[in-house]
This record gives sequence, structure tokens and C-alpha cells, in this order.
Amino acid sequence: MKGFSKWLLQLVVGFIGILLISGLPILIMGFQQGEFRWKEYGEHLVILFPLSDFLDANYGPHIGQYIIYSLEILFLALIVATGLAILFTILTMLCKERTRQRIKTVFFFLESLPDILIILLVQLTVIMIHKNTGIFVSKIAVTGGEKLYFLPVFCLMILPMIQLYRLSMLTFEAEERKMYVELAKSLGFKKLIILLVHIFRNAIISIFFQSKKTMWFMLSNLFILELMFNMPGIMLHLRDNISGEVFLITVCSFFLPVFLLYSFGEWYFVRRLNRGGAFE
Amino acid sequence: MKSVWKQPYFVIGFVILAFFLVGSFVFEWVFGSDPKQTYFIYENGRVVQAAPLPPSWMHPFGTDQFGYDMLAKIMLGAKYTIIAAMGVAAVRMFIAVPIGFAIGTYWQKRRLLINSFIDPLHYVPMTIFAYLMLYPVLWEPMEGFSTTVWERIIIQVVLMAIITVPIVSSLIGNEANLLYHEEYILASRTLGASRLRIITRHLFPMMREKLFVLYGQQVVETLVVFTHLGLLYLFIGGTEVSYDPMFGDPPKSIAYEWAGLFGSSFRYLQGVPWLPLVPAICFALVILAVAAMIEGYTRAVSGKVKIPKRKKVALVSDDTIKWNQQQLKEKLQVLRENEIR
Repeated sequence: MKGFSKWLLQLVVGFIGILLISGLPILIMGFQQGEFRWKEYGEHLVILFPLSDFLDANYGPHIGQYIIYSLEILFLALIVATGLAILFTILTMLCKERTRQRIKTVFFFLESLPDILIILLVQLTVIMIHKNTGIFVSKIAVTGGEKLYFLPVFCLMILPMIQLYRLSMLTFEAEERKMYVELAKSLGFKKLIILLVHIFRNAIISIFFQSKKTMWFMLSNLFILELMFNMPGIMLHLRDNISGEVFLITVCSFFLPVFLLYSFGEWYFVRRLNRGGAFE
Repeated sequence: MKSVWKQPYFVIGFVILAFFLVGSFVFEWVFGSDPKQTYFIYENGRVVQAAPLPPSWMHPFGTDQFGYDMLAKIMLGAKYTIIAAMGVAAVRMFIAVPIGFAIGTYWQKRRLLINSFIDPLHYVPMTIFAYLMLYPVLWEPMEGFSTTVWERIIIQVVLMAIITVPIVSSLIGNEANLLYHEEYILASRTLGASRLRIITRHLFPMMREKLFVLYGQQVVETLVVFTHLGLLYLFIGGTEVSYDPMFGDPPKSIAYEWAGLFGSSFRYLQGVPWLPLVPAICFALVILAVAAMIEGYTRAVSGKVKIPKRKKVALVSDDTIKWNQQQLKEKLQVLRENEIR
């Protein structure tokens, strides 16, 4: 029960934090006139109550659609990125030490490419392919009501994939040095079997815990992606109707699902770990 | 610690960064602060090409739609972009390091509460947060700016530094708290060292290298936020807005800084790809340079990155071996003493 109350505390404090942040722009809105608007800030803090009025005024069905579209892109990209990162990790782990070091250096520098350059290059490539061969791979911007999935997910997943790849390489290599791998090797198991069955199961927990940071990183990218592809998501909606209320809804719409997902994951993995006695 | 100058990565990164930074000042000193303008290219008295000109020998990066040379714009703008990014990261570290150490030592009992306050900040994309905070400062109002360019740059740097101070200081706080429970610090506390002394004598020296790396990462992050803000038409030093309803120019950057060059030309990607692509590649180059410096620095302070060797398999434990050696030494001493006698 102690764990639950701690969880509830984190959730409530998180909410209060978001509420306080969402009012900040109102506070400094009067900057050009040289004043801080404390009174308006105070008024903003109580807009949530009563909750039903707040939702009626600011939460229409179209906002729900924006949120769902943004979350779809975000989670699709996360799933694809995780899958590919783990696949590449296992492939690299099968290589020799020297090759491994080289691949890691290349990925280190790839990781520092800015997201705008990647999106620009992808869009340019699509344009060039269309110009030269006439094959239309995908639309490079959303026009009208339809939704775009393939290209945004592709752009969004590249950088997180590289980050996750570096992370899982570190974890896998740390696991590889442990005794149970040595034992498995001496028993004559093949390298691939050891990787897939033994190391993978232990590494995935650590990767899950650290992937939260990648998630945060993706949120910033998602914003720029919606801007450059003109996608009807919640971030673009926020840019067009900038206000404390929309800001509050936007941040909560990411905070709640991700927070719930990771709390559940933590609870599940910690329980499994404790039952196995690995932490005792 | 080996010298960082022997690390090829560090040197390469440093050279690229110095090229842009020093080059920017030298360029302005030699060619003046206005880029060269070419409207048309004539051949035998006839106009063959009009601005925007594609990259050629005359204009390695092409020209923009008004005929200004892109290379000149890039070189002139480099100093604003790079110095602003380094400034933001420096101010941020300057504020966050003391707070972080305080969280890790003095306020460690309240760390859970502080962390759960800071946690939701991660869900606010930095760009949106910066946009919200900077819009009133940088967007030119109807009646014109009431501040000067340098005032705006300073306010922007400080605001951008402050918005991620909580995240960075909680990071430092957690790290410092981990170290605080090390055995040698426990020993030092038992001997009566105050928390301030532990911070200055133990925690800070232990974390100095990590803090340098963190500084580099903050520079990279700031550069990325600059590119994002550029897309939102918020440029370093303010955005010039034309309120003319009929012939309004698009929002313009006041200096030739890169975020402005990129943000204001992004829409022309299909027709004039070099306009947004050149600043974007320059951003990437600077970010790569900083990343290379970080990597070189890390290698210098941690020694050569070695492929870890397998643990040697010993049938007896290390303690037993040590005990044996001790015994042997004592026996030898006894023998030698006997000999002398």
C-alpha cells in the first residue's frame, strides 16, 4: 500500500507542477510593457475548478482526435524504434569486438544529427525520387483532412532508434560479462541462443527503465515533426491557439498515458524481479 | 589524465568550432557586415540567371531570393548562434550546479518530493516551453521593440537557461546523492566534515569531468532548440515583423543568425533546396563538432577506451593470495634476520 500512496503523490504533485508551469506565459505576457501579471496568474490557477466547466470550454471532439493522432504517431514510432534497436543490437553482438567498436563510433556521431536535418533530407529524398522516377513514395505534407502515417513515423523513429541502440548495446555488453553467460557458453550453447534467450530477458528490463528518457526526447521531436509535415496533431493545435488552457491539455495528454505506462511497467518488472530473488 | 590535445576527436571538433567562430569575426573584419548582393548574372550583355542563384564557384552556397550570398550570411551569423548557445549552457550550469549539490546533500530527505515536482517538466517539449516564454520578448509588437538587440539577446539567453535548470539540477542532485553515500564520504562525515566541505572537497572534484560533459550536452541541446525556435519564427535577438497589411514581408531575423536563416527559408525547400539545407547542415556540423569534443574529452579523462578483458579465473580468492604473500614476506624477513645474525 505504501507504494500506491507514493505513486498517487507523484501523480498529484506532477499535476500541480504542470498547472503552475502552464500559467507562466501569462505571468510574463506583459514583458514588453515592463510588468509581471501576478493577478492574472493567480486567476489562471483556479480555472480547473469546476472541472466540468473547464472541459466543456476547452475539450471539444476535434481536440480528442488531435490527441489520438499525436499519440498514435508517438507510440507507433516508439514501438518501431525499440524493435529495430534491439534487432540491430543482436546483429552487432554477433560481430567481433573490433567491428563492434567501429559500428558504435559511427552511431555515436549519427546520434548527434539534428532532427530538422533528418526531416529535411527525408523530404528532399521523396521529392527527388518523385522528380527522377515519377514514383510517388508518400506525401510530404498533410493537406485537407487525410492522415499521414508512414513518413512521419519513419522520421520520428530514426533518432530514438539510434539512442535506444546505443543504450541497449551498453546493457547487452554489461550482461555479456556476467557469470551466467560464461556458464552457458561452457555448456556449449550457441551465441545466438544465449543472446536471444538469456541475455535478452535480463537486458530488456534495464532498457525499459532507461527508455523513459528517449520518450521525453521524442516529444520535442514530435512537435517539430507536426510543424514540418503540417500534421493535424495536438502540438500543431497548441501552436495555433496558444494559451494556458490548451497548454495544460496538451501536456496532460502526454503526461497521463506515458506516466501510467511506465508506472505499470515498473510495478510489473519490480514484482517479477523480487519474485525471482534477483534483487535480494 | 592524458592531454585532451592528443585526442583526435577533440582536436577535430575544436578546429571546426574555432573555424566558424574565429572565421565569423575575421570575415566581418575583412568584408564588412553586409553580404555581397548579386541580382543577375550577365553573359554577353544578356541576363542568363536571376536570384536565387544555385550553388556555383562564385557562390559556393548559392544566393537567397534577394541575391545575398549565402556563404557570407552563414559566416556573419555563426558568431551569434555559437556564442548564444554556449552562453545559454554556461548560465544554466552556473545556476544548476549549486542547486543540484544542495538537492543531493542538504535537501536529500525531500528529494522524492522535489523530483516528483520536476518529473512532469520532462513531458513539456522544451521547444514549446521556450516558445511560450520567449514569444512576448522576441516577437516585435505593433509599436516596435522597446528593448535593444543586446538586451533581448541577454534576456533570451537567461530565460532559455532558466527553463531547464530544474531538470539539470535534479540530474546533478541524483548523481551527487549517489556519491554522498559512498564509504569514503561516510568516513569523512564520521570525522566531522561539514556538508559544505564534503561538497567542495569530495563531490565537486569527483563530478568535475561529468559536469564538463553535461555542459557540452547542454550546448548541443540549446542548438537544437534554436533550430526549432527558428521554425516557429522566433529568432535570436528578436523577430522583425512587418505589420503592413498589403505588402508585409515575411518575419525576418535581425542578425544573420542561423536559426533565422533556416526558419525563414524552410518553406522554399522544394524550389530552392539550398536555402534551408545550408544552415541546417551548418547546425549539424557544429553539433557534431561539440559531440566530437565531448567524446575526445571523455576518452582523455578515462584513459584509452579499452576492450574490457575477461575476469581471470582463479581457484583461490584474492584475499587468500594476499594472505599467502604476507606470510611469505614475513618468513623471508625472519630468514634474512637469521642470516645477518
